[in-house]
Amino acid sequence: MRSGASALATPLRGGYAERTITHAPAWRGLVAWDLLFNGISTGVFLVAAICELAAPDIFARAAGVAYAVALVVLIVDLTSLVLDLGDPLRFHHMLRVVKLGSPMSVGTWCLTLYSLPLTVAAAIGVLPSEWASLEAVRRVAIIVGLPFALGSAVYKGVLLSTSAQPGWKDARWLGGYLTSSAITLGCAGMLLLSLLVGAERAAAALRVALGILVTVNLIPLGLLAADVRSTLVRVCSPRERAGLAAVCLVGGTLLPLFLLLAGQAPGVLVAAALCIALAGLAIRFSILRLPQASA
Amino acid sequence: MASREIVVAELPQHGEPVVGALSDLVRRLVDPFRTVSPPEPRPATGFFTDTTVCIGCKACEVACKEWNLLPADGLHWTGNSYDNTDELSATSWRHVKFIEQIGEPTSDVPLAEATAAFSLERLLHEPKDGRWLMMSDVCKHCVAAPCQQACPTGAIIHTEFESVFIQPDICNGCSSCVSACPFGVVTRSSLDGHSHKCTLCYDRQRDGLVPACAKACPTQSIQFGPVDELRERARARVRELHRRGVAEAYLYGDVSTASYSELNSFYLLVDRPAIYGLPDDPVDPRIFMKGDYARAIGSGVAAIATLLAAIWLGGI
Repeated sequence: MRSGASALATPLRGGYAERTITHAPAWRGLVAWDLLFNGISTGVFLVAAICELAAPDIFARAAGVAYAVALVVLIVDLTSLVLDLGDPLRFHHMLRVVKLGSPMSVGTWCLTLYSLPLTVAAAIGVLPSEWASLEAVRRVAIIVGLPFALGSAVYKGVLLSTSAQPGWKDARWLGGYLTSSAITLGCAGMLLLSLLVGAERAAAALRVALGILVTVNLIPLGLLAADVRSTLVRVCSPRERAGLAAVCLVGGTLLPLFLLLAGQAPGVLVAAALCIALAGLAIRFSILRLPQASA
Repeated sequence: MASREIVVAELPQHGEPVVGALSDLVRRLVDPFRTVSPPEPRPATGFFTDTTVCIGCKACEVACKEWNLLPADGLHWTGNSYDNTDELSATSWRHVKFIEQIGEPTSDVPLAEATAAFSLERLLHEPKDGRWLMMSDVCKHCVAAPCQQACPTGAIIHTEFESVFIQPDICNGCSSCVSACPFGVVTRSSLDGHSHKCTLCYDRQRDGLVPACAKACPTQSIQFGPVDELRERARARVRELHRRGVAEAYLYGDVSTASYSELNSFYLLVDRPAIYGLPDDPVDPRIFMKGDYARAIGSGVAAIATLLAAIWLGGI
């Protein structure tokens, strides 16, 4: 029990010093899925386009399906983006201005400009063979879409890292990780599509590429972990941090690598791709919760 | 109010607006893209908040809510002194903070005895071992506002008075501004889904009136006026306080730093900024933007190069 006159008041020398000053935006589960779908759509398009342009004989068949898949995933992604707005019926207000200083504005325009050639490429890709004369248009659409697809993959990380939020504001490599991860997810998606259409040479090449990309992806992920380490230490228990590390290293890297090396059976490769996607989703959820957890 | 209604009624009318679902849809789609020429720039105005004379009466909070028709936040006990607003929010654009810096107990005198020993004479003359800081917090109306830069819809603008204003008919609640503000000012409302914050009483200023909070402040802790004039007045006040022995008095946000612009709403403080819930060294998130883009693009290009190399190495 307190005693003396000072017991009448609680000592509060720190004032508001222990509080998190910033307000966390209400970006939660839906945005984590948006981050994943954005990575899959842009990644599948980029990998399909680059592979097709580099070796059309081998990759064209899988790429034709890949553009349609990328478009469907993009539609899901855009829907989740719109639903996440405070006033979804005002989504078109994003197109009022072009602001290079606003990553969300850059992203909105990149996604818009990426969706147009993607739609053209996907539409021509599913047309019957009588429309083969449009092949040149499809190829131009793919080339035009490349920089905007890359921009759409790049902006997400920068949007979060150029904020004032705990964790995000220190994450200098968040954009690097998400972009590299998008390419890896895209490679995994393209590998599955190659299996689906029976493009064996494409699948064999992409299996090797995916193994290397999964390994290389550890570099930006490690740099990102170093960036946000102090926030992670503050908001996560040692057990949670160990779990996250296990998801990154075992679930997202070692297990897929083992499966990719284990064999070429479709089931094994699907399992590897699923591991990569689920680990990517878990990492995105963990990144998104940093400001909320700091509050 | 009655005379204002008569004036409005006398304005030339342009007929009833077209009503109907289609016209509503067209209006919703087209109106946000309409623009008007911006008003002529006026001298920048702002707030100088002298926390040393704040008495925590919350008249500013009440006046702000009244003028801006902001709903009550409900009565809840925060457990932090007399602070029942807790933070700036979409419905609280002014927030009076209370910081009790009362010393630890120095004797083991039982509470009953200590209370009985109190007298007015003793209270007036005994040495004080603590202090009670109060501060009315508000949007800082940053000269280079991260919220304004981050806003992808152009809803957040600098007005002709150089204050930062959220156009309520444009904001779509994307929360970029919430994420960008290092002071925790902008908040998305759960009522309408849009972001809200202090407007520096833009409507009152356009009519030549002082913002409601400054008007209501009984101690002139909140001073409103042209920013240049306020900065001079604030510096003179700091000099005066130093002369009186308050050596710790200083201004927060009156000049820009290496990482942040000056604030058009700035403060006189007597303790570390963090004690008042302000960042000690605010950072404009945009200073990292070019580097972050470069790292992201570089990583993407490196991954694509890796992909191509792997494919070629695979014999294709």
